[in-house]
Formats: sequence, C-alpha cells, structure tokens
Amino acid sequence: MSDLNEISTIARGETARALKGGRVVVLAVLFLLFTALALSIVGYFNYQMNAQVKLSGGDPDAMAQGGEQNLSGKKQFLSFVFTNDPQLLDALAALPLVLLVVFKLAMRFLPLFVALMGFDQISGEVGPKSIRYLVVRVKRSSIVAGKFVAQGLVLAGLLLLSTLAMVGVAKWLNADFGWSFAATTALKLVGASLALAVAYLGLSTLCSAVTRQASVSLAANIILLFVIWFLAFLGEAFRLPGQQAAMGTLEQLKSESGFAYLRFASVWHYGEDLLHPHLPRFFGAALVHVGWACIFLGLANLMLRRRDL
Amino acid sequence: MTAAIELTGLSKRFGHKVAVNNVTFSVEQGQCYGLIGPNGAGKTTTFSMMCGFLFPTAGSVRVLGVDPAAPGALKGKVGVLPQDAVLPMTWPVGALLTYLARLSDLKDPEGEARRVLDKVALPETWGVLAGALSHGMAKRVAMAQALMGSPPVIFLDEPTAGLDPKIAAAVRGLIRELKGQHTVVVSSHNLQELEELCDGTAILDKGTLVTAASMTEITGQSAEFRVQLARGSAPLEELKALPGVQHVAVEASGQVLLVRYVGAPEEVISAVVGRLITRGVLILGVTRGQRLEEKVLQLT
Repeated sequence: MSDLNEISTIARGETARALKGGRVVVLAVLFLLFTALALSIVGYFNYQMNAQVKLSGGDPDAMAQGGEQNLSGKKQFLSFVFTNDPQLLDALAALPLVLLVVFKLAMRFLPLFVALMGFDQISGEVGPKSIRYLVVRVKRSSIVAGKFVAQGLVLAGLLLLSTLAMVGVAKWLNADFGWSFAATTALKLVGASLALAVAYLGLSTLCSAVTRQASVSLAANIILLFVIWFLAFLGEAFRLPGQQAAMGTLEQLKSESGFAYLRFASVWHYGEDLLHPHLPRFFGAALVHVGWACIFLGLANLMLRRRDL
Repeated sequence: MTAAIELTGLSKRFGHKVAVNNVTFSVEQGQCYGLIGPNGAGKTTTFSMMCGFLFPTAGSVRVLGVDPAAPGALKGKVGVLPQDAVLPMTWPVGALLTYLARLSDLKDPEGEARRVLDKVALPETWGVLAGALSHGMAKRVAMAQALMGSPPVIFLDEPTAGLDPKIAAAVRGLIRELKGQHTVVVSSHNLQELEELCDGTAILDKGTLVTAASMTEITGQSAEFRVQLARGSAPLEELKALPGVQHVAVEASGQVLLVRYVGAPEEVISAVVGRLITRGVLILGVTRGQRLEEKVLQLT
C-alpha cells in the first residue's frame, strides 16, 4: 500500500468517524449559532442604516447624496476594521456590510474553532494508546497526514455551510446583491476561509502530535494562537502610520522599527490578503498559509516519528 | 531454525530511570515465547520496543530481520495485542476491524474482520460500539485485530488478564492453535499459562535479563523429577546406583524425593519408581522438573 493509499484510507475512516461523532454536530451548531448571532446584530444595524437612507428619500439629489455618504461611511468603517489598501477597500465596499462584518468576525474566531475541532486528533489516540493499533499497520507520517486531511474535509464542509448561510442572509437583506455576484462572492469567501483554516489546522495537528494528553494539546494550541496574534499585533503596532499594506515598498520597510518585522513571522499577518481582489496578492497569501501548514505538518511528522507511543 | 526476533544489548531509559538494561535474547521462528517477570521488571517496555512503539535508548531489536520502528517495515507481518491500549470508543467493532484490515492492506477487509471476530467467538458484536464492550469482550476484539491477516509474528501482552476462567481457557486454546504456524511472543504474569503454552521464555527482573532459555531447561523437566512419598523411607544409595541417576536427596519436608538425572526421562523415572515400590515405599505422585512459578520466585 503506497503512502497515498494509507493517507486516503485513514482520511476516509477518520472523516466517517468524525461525521458520525457528536462533536462535529456540536461544533457546527456552535459555529452556525455564532454566525446567526453576528448576522442578527450586524443585520439589525444594517437595517437601521438602510431605513435612515430611505428616510432621506424623495429628493433624488438627497438620495444620491445619501448614497455617496453611505458609501463613504462604509469605506471609512472598512478602513478602520479591515485595511487602508485602496484596491482591497474598493472590492470590500462592493459587498454587503453585513456579510463583510460577519465573515470578518467568523474568521477572527476560526483559529479557535479549528483548535476546538482538531486538538485531540493525535493526542486523543496517544493518551489511551489506541494509536498503537495504527502504528503497526501504517507509517506515522501517514497518520499525521491522514488525520489532517480528515479534519480538513470536515472543516471544509462546515465552512461551506456557514459561508453559504452568511451569503444567503446577506442576499436576503440586500436586494441589490445580485445572484451571480453572491455566487462568486461565496466562492471567494469559501476559498479565503479554507486557505486561512489550513494553516491553523496544521498548527492544531502539530500541537496534537507533540502532547500526550488532549487537554494539554488544546492548551498548547491556544497558547500558540496567542503568540501568533501577539506577534502580528506587535508588528503592526510598530509599523509606521499610514503604511497598512501587507507588503510596503522597500524604502518603507527599511524605515520601520525592527519590531515591526515580527509581523512577518506571524501567519495572522497574511490573512488580510486572502480577500484581496488582485489575484497575485490572494495567491501569495494563500501560499503563505499553505506554507505555514506544511511547516506545522512537517514538525508534527518529525515529532511523531521520534517519539515513543 | 532461524531467529524471528533478536534483541541485542537492548536498553531503555525514561529520564533517569532505567526500565530495560542490556537485554539480549532471541526467539526462533514458530516458537511460542514467554516474557516473564514481576511488576516493573521491564516486560511491557521490552514488548513495546519489539513492536516498534518505543525507541531503544541503546542496543537493537530485529523482527524478521528489520527494525520494527522503521516506517512501514512490518506492515502486514506483525499482529499486536497491546496491553493497555483502549479500542477507539466511537467505532462500531465491525467497522473498526474492517478499517484496520484495510490499513493492513488485506484483500477482503470485511471478510477478514468477520473471520477473526468469529475466531474470538464474538460475531454478535459486529455493530456494537467498541466503547460499549465489557473488558473481556474488548480484550477479545483487540486479540481479533492482532490475528487479522495471519501475520507471521504475533505479540500478545497479557492476553488473558482480566478474563474469566472460561474465556481465558478459550484464549489459551487460540494461542495453542497459533503455535508452530506463527512466532508468538506472550507477556504475562500468569506463569502456569506460560509454562503450558511456551517453548521458551525470558525472565526479567528490575530491567535486566535473569535468564533466557527453553521452557524445559528453565523448569528442569529434562534434568530432575520429584516423587511425593506417602509412607516408608527411600533407599537413597540404591537409587543413586541406578543408571542415569546423578543425584538423589530428600527435600526439607521429608516427604519429597528429588532425583536429578541424565538420559531418557521415562526410563529413569520408571526405574526409580519401580525400585521404591519393590522396597515397600508407597508413593502419591511424580512431578517432572520444577514448576515455573517456583523457578521464577527463586530467580527474581
């Protein structure tokens, strides 16, 4: 049996087990509830804003002026929440605000959600030693990869479900959000969330591969998430004001404080570009996430291969 | 005969604690081999290194000529019943065994899963969740997975621990069936069971090897026997003069005659018992060698 066959057999078996297990349902409900709550809150404010715009109606000039003010306010809000990158700002401004805010919130919590889902994928088998039934049959590297793929498949399903729900509600709340635009938006958001999730899933696999107890791997995963967020925040805090683009010019980079470079060591720093309309930026960010996932998986594999089980 | 398993200078440390220290022995192909020792002797650690679960700190293990810890080296060649490995609780037994058979690359995974489940007399557990099985049932399901694909080498760690006498006897029957066709290594505290099943054994104590030899050598079955006397006194000098007899002594109890000998046991035993009867000594029984339990208690 080749490595790929081993990985695919483990992935199929583990995916089936995960789907039959209660945790996926609980996590799906948790994520959907979170999405629903965020949708309700943001949707309410969005509704209020639209009502205010309608109140200024009647006079076409006032309507146009109201629309412009609305767009400008939206961009201001987006520049505060998301980015100063004009290209990205324009692309985001075209989307319903409710969708953007809820998606952004969901992505903020996604690493934690991933940790909750995959923290015990390996440590949960090392502690009770059930992994011994596997290691006599397959390579340890296949166990790491197979479990990662299984978690990825389940997560992809959950992300697809929640993103479709977000886009569906946004479409319902915004009549001018056309079907084809909604479909391409859904595709982009699913792609972005999957690319983002892959790195954190790798981290979760690494934490699970180096610990013996599931609770310890969850704690280690959360600690590392805080380290990642802290590095990104510290890097951003030390950047020169007004240079929010993910990659500044060489002169800008040279003029920055040494601490600002810490942001490049954090995978979180690259997340923003996953929504960038400029494809090279999107693919660059996606590649960075995949690269981090490969680093985490490589380390997980190295650790599992060298440790007693 | 060639060695199926070879341990050379095998050691394992956990921090400062030496769990196994410089252990060397080998197991021939087709043998049923026992690992014996008190708690903390290093049996399970040695067993786990033979299965590739633990990495030796020093020395080497070779199973069928390869390092068991090498990735994929023993796929389909080894079956293992680990002592305290919990079966994944959320799998139904049938699905779990089929999954494991698939991972072992067996041709008919479901058919093989059903075959081994029949072998351990648990076909009714096919759809039962592994987490819902009793201890005894879980042990037998774990035993079933070790037998899948009829691997040439089978490691069984405490195969009858916690089983009721009837089930334990059935498991022993299964192991007896495996003898000769498979190399079987059994780690157990049940010395009577090992004496009954094993061709050879290694006795460990405090991580070191006390002795490793065939069961007949260890129990002295080919070298001594005891006669339990009911009445009368044994003619020691006459017995010493019999062909093959090397040493005769009455043990401390005064009612047991110990005879050490060389040659065919049936001839020496018959000669000694015959002489005792002709001299009017009444006997209650004859036991060849020493019980393994007594030997282990002596050595550890």
